[in-house]
Amino acid sequence: MLNIVFYFQVHQPYRLRHFNVLDVGRNSGYFDDASNRSIMQKVAAKCYLPTNQLLLELIKKHKGSFKIAYSITGTAIEQFKQYSPEVLDSFKQLVDTGCVELIGETYYHSLSFLYDTNEFLEQVYMHRALIKKEFGYDTTTFRNTELIYQDTLSDVIYEIEGFKTIITEGVDRVLDWRSPLYAYKNYSKSLNLLLKYYQLSDDIAFRFSNRDWPEFPLTVPKFVRWIDHLTLSENQNRNQFLNLFMDYETFGEHQWAETGIFDFIKHLPAEVLKRDNLGFITPCETSEYANYQQEGISFKEAVSWADAERDLSAWLENDMQKNAIETLYDLLEKAKQKGDAEIISQLRLLTTSDHFYYMCTKYFQDGDVHKYFSPYDSPDQAYIYFINVMADIEERLL
Amino acid sequence: MKVLMFTWEFPPFISGGLGMACYGMVQSLLKIGIKVDLVLPTRDLVYFPLSIPEDVDNLPAVFIEPKKHKEYSSISFGSVKERLDYIGITKHPESYIQLGEIKKFFRLSKSYESSEQVHWTDSDKLLDEALINLTGEEDLIRKVQEYTLRAQKVASTLKYDIVHAHDWLCYPAGMIARKVSGKPLVVHIHATEFDRSGGPGDERIHNIEYAGMMFADRVIAVSQYTAQMIMSRYIIDSGNIRIVHNAFSVKEDMNDTKQRIFKGPTILFLGRITLQKGPDYFLEVAEKVLFKYPHARFIVAGTGDMGRMLLHRSAQLRLKNRFLFTGFLNRKQVERILLAADVYVMPSVSEPFGIAPLEAMAYGVTSIISKQSGVAEVVNNVFKIDFWDTDRMAETIGYLIENPELCKKMGHDSKEEVNHILWDAAADKIRDVYIHVLEDFLATNKA
Repeated sequence: MLNIVFYFQVHQPYRLRHFNVLDVGRNSGYFDDASNRSIMQKVAAKCYLPTNQLLLELIKKHKGSFKIAYSITGTAIEQFKQYSPEVLDSFKQLVDTGCVELIGETYYHSLSFLYDTNEFLEQVYMHRALIKKEFGYDTTTFRNTELIYQDTLSDVIYEIEGFKTIITEGVDRVLDWRSPLYAYKNYSKSLNLLLKYYQLSDDIAFRFSNRDWPEFPLTVPKFVRWIDHLTLSENQNRNQFLNLFMDYETFGEHQWAETGIFDFIKHLPAEVLKRDNLGFITPCETSEYANYQQEGISFKEAVSWADAERDLSAWLENDMQKNAIETLYDLLEKAKQKGDAEIISQLRLLTTSDHFYYMCTKYFQDGDVHKYFSPYDSPDQAYIYFINVMADIEERLL
Repeated sequence: MKVLMFTWEFPPFISGGLGMACYGMVQSLLKIGIKVDLVLPTRDLVYFPLSIPEDVDNLPAVFIEPKKHKEYSSISFGSVKERLDYIGITKHPESYIQLGEIKKFFRLSKSYESSEQVHWTDSDKLLDEALINLTGEEDLIRKVQEYTLRAQKVASTLKYDIVHAHDWLCYPAGMIARKVSGKPLVVHIHATEFDRSGGPGDERIHNIEYAGMMFADRVIAVSQYTAQMIMSRYIIDSGNIRIVHNAFSVKEDMNDTKQRIFKGPTILFLGRITLQKGPDYFLEVAEKVLFKYPHARFIVAGTGDMGRMLLHRSAQLRLKNRFLFTGFLNRKQVERILLAADVYVMPSVSEPFGIAPLEAMAYGVTSIISKQSGVAEVVNNVFKIDFWDTDRMAETIGYLIENPELCKKMGHDSKEEVNHILWDAAADKIRDVYIHVLEDFLATNKA
């Protein structure tokens, strides 16, 4: 049996406005409210609302055999409430079906694990409390920001009561000869570990509308045939899991409605469920389906799902990114010492990884992706505004 | 007396000190009754006939083509800015002429050839030299070509006694005007290619500068430093050179009450971020000062081709949020950043004059200026340090940080001092240059 595990990342950052040196000390706000509002409303109309509606219908139609999972960041939920409350309601409806798992992470979609363990834990607890409050849901699966993962992360997550499973990227250089289709354990064999099957995930997320791709157009029968072929390899009756992880904004935003992405999703479950050897489950269910001794895998270095490198270089490669993030965590420390709750909460909105993603200067095709997602003209601009805000916050702490 | 003046910058159309200098100079010339027809690199073909001091702000304009002028006169503009937008001059310099609008340069050479020429004189050779070197596909070169083309038209349409051209961008235009009108030409050196490039520079520009200075009836240099430079590098006859230092026009409604942005010591670099201005030395100084005084803040105000390098390098040095960039600032924003600064640093590698320190002084900001500058010849209440001596600069800043009262006093004294460096005095000297040039010119033409 091969089960498809669909997991979608739902995230929106609070984008900074073009904050000049001369704005320091003027108490004029750090965030571009107008653009955050319009982006949220645009993505709600193009992606969140129609996709939620479609998936709700599919879940109802298939009476418990079609399941999905989401991680919804705290900054996304806050912005739903501010700018598009109907989106939050539609997620609640989905969760109420019982066929949706919610996944835990840091409230701010931050890189705090790499810089400040205490801050990381606080943000994880904040997110867990938020999900409980909004959805009445207790998270048991964890995924770190952008699937960033390494052995030491599993140690920290294991210490948090309730988390049983972690999901991350199926990076070739770690997997080596192993297949991402099996459920593994972390290096100390204390947690269940699921790995993204990036080829088929990216076929939907990135290549779906790419006319230069030899497989274009991607049809449902073709995609399900590929999945079916995966079960032909020698598996000694072990249950397999096809982890299809992607940005939720793939539907209707990165891949526009005109590409046929909604039709694709609409017809996919029925085509899958026609076959007895295929099904859908959620991440937390995988450990009970794993009818074999799960092997432990060690991730000595950090991995992520970003860019061709699948490492931290999207956020933490150049000096601007490093100087900015080091300044940020220094200030957060100072703000905590001073106990200034307002500044702490503003700094936390700045821990969101997107701010560092905008400062990325990598070339080639990834540069294009970064550019597509950046609200600024250049990485340098993103850095300048961020550092100016850091100066303003520091002045307020003096 | 009426002057046909070519300049690349004039407020509100400005990117550096040239525009500020021309503004102060023209205003004071108008005060002593010298009228100026100003030609700027505008989008439309216009000139600005200035006759009273207030005209430097109003910028009355005349379109060379009567039909266009009629159209323009019939429009009532809400503000000066709106009017200047119509003419196309409120944008940042070098950005107003669309590449597509520029016609081929060969037109100029052709029309020049077809003009009546009996024999090939030395001055013709110089003009030819300037035009031959004015070739290239770069945006700026093409704009200068277009500007030079227009000079011919303007020069033959207007009536004036003398031609005055500022810096190489306008030398070909000035030369053409002299050729067309037979009136004497004064060229004004605000900077040479040696200053701007900090190295060998662009050969074409050197040639244009040389031809312009040789062709001119008189050369005005903005400092002794510059006069020395053009004598030694361009071998210009010292008898033809006059030194007129720049000045600063203190505005009467100037607000000079300190308005801090940062609680700690604030050290400012203000100007183009180019090799000539020494921004890399400023960064070096910042690193040294911040090591000892981590509460200081360094601000780089301006834009330029070294901006990216400086930004990345400051991040690499992990100067945290202690080394900040403002990007391009308009006049009002420049005032605000000056009001927020305690110390101004001008570490220029080579600065023919350097008007920015005078402005900083006018705002009571204690200034540290490069010894390799013309402005160092005219001010006393500042620190003058070799641009490369970053240890000395860092020590001086450290001393000022530890002695804030002394820093304040120095700023106050420099403000007093700059109030006496007036454009009126500079304009008197320029008038004298005009008069002598005209006398010589008449004498030669009689003979």
